[in-house]
Amino acid sequence: MVDFTNIDLDQLFGFSDDSNPLLMLVWILPIIIFIFYGQRIQLQVTSGEIKKAIKKLDGYRTEARTELIDYVKKNMSPSEDPTKKIDRFLDYFTIMPVDMDPNGVVDKVRHTLRAREDYSRNHVKSLSPDSNELELSKVITLLEIATSLHMIYKIVNHMYLTAKKQNNYPLILPLQMILPFIMEEAEAITKAIPAFQLGQPVGDGIGPMIVGKMMLDTKKELVAFQTVLGEKEYNGRKLFLLKAEGPGSNVGRPGDAVESIVAKNKPDIIIMVDAALKMEGEDSAITAQGFGAAIGGIGTERFQIEDIATKNNIPIFAIVIKQSIKEAITLMTKDIANQAENVTSQINEMIQDNTKPGQKVLLIGVGNTIGVPQ
Amino acid sequence: MFSKDEIIVAYTLEKCKSCNMERKRKFKKGDYLFTETSKCDSCDGIMQIEKIFGEIIEKS
Repeated sequence: MVDFTNIDLDQLFGFSDDSNPLLMLVWILPIIIFIFYGQRIQLQVTSGEIKKAIKKLDGYRTEARTELIDYVKKNMSPSEDPTKKIDRFLDYFTIMPVDMDPNGVVDKVRHTLRAREDYSRNHVKSLSPDSNELELSKVITLLEIATSLHMIYKIVNHMYLTAKKQNNYPLILPLQMILPFIMEEAEAITKAIPAFQLGQPVGDGIGPMIVGKMMLDTKKELVAFQTVLGEKEYNGRKLFLLKAEGPGSNVGRPGDAVESIVAKNKPDIIIMVDAALKMEGEDSAITAQGFGAAIGGIGTERFQIEDIATKNNIPIFAIVIKQSIKEAITLMTKDIANQAENVTSQINEMIQDNTKPGQKVLLIGVGNTIGVPQ
Repeated sequence: MFSKDEIIVAYTLEKCKSCNMERKRKFKKGDYLFTETSKCDSCDGIMQIEKIFGEIIEKS
């Protein structure tokens, strides 16, 4: 009979004897396994995490598509079922111009993007030709959200399946590294849907909100596509107030607008108010002042504004309200909204400090103007 | 990343154009900034939507 209550582990595994073959096997076997199958094991572990993320992304894109179709059916009363048309649009892509010869590439990018914008607008309008501009702008934004989530899902899934197919662990590493950032952005985009459906101002709309309030008692005119201009006096200075036309979900065309304004009434300074992405560790809704064109996007508008300012020797000042990506595209937080008065006084101070009575100031509220009229 | 149990409630802040009295209520569809909504309770002024914002009321 074996006495299991009295086993000597030292004797069994030979801890006191280096030549014990059982102990050698315990150490050497995993090393051999890891040498030959290490990458495959890592691939399996990483695959599990990525698969979960892809499932989430699939959920986001399905939610965005369903919300879009439901919104169109409820609010635009289309003559026929819009599902087929919307599904076709989700797969539309944009081929960016060749930049091997960068000369003139900005004009090409602008042309490509505007052609896409015009197509989207016409496409959405064709669903219900009688829809008003506000509903149209909301649906276009919801369509952009659904398209972005659809594209993110497809790209991540493609990268994952390629690595799996090739059984290639290094191929999955870049995806593993960028996945948390992609997920954060995809989650933020999904959470933006209710604000755009309800027409609520988003964090990015703080610039248009501040300038829109200053424009309230002025005579407004359309100065460029979906871009409004108002004029008023402030302490002997002439203010040109510019923002996208609200309360629809628009960002306007500030580049074209600045070109038109400068040609007619050359301002002495330009002040741009915009939301800016905060750095990790920075508090949300803090403000900062600086120089240069504060405007995001792909860069075509910024290029145009910088070009005009340089040619006409106009200094550009910027005030930004810091926020996270999620705060920028979802319902405006109380902290951000409460910065409106502070930023307005900073604008007034900036005008006072940098201009003399009789001079002209162009003030631009940059950002999406959903829920923000003027 | 943010919590799934975060509940954000949208509020509308109205301000009287005459006496500056403020009134906070829940957001309702059709509310847009700077639109005139109703008469002021304390004077005969007009209430105007000053701010629309979200507040987190629950987080677990």
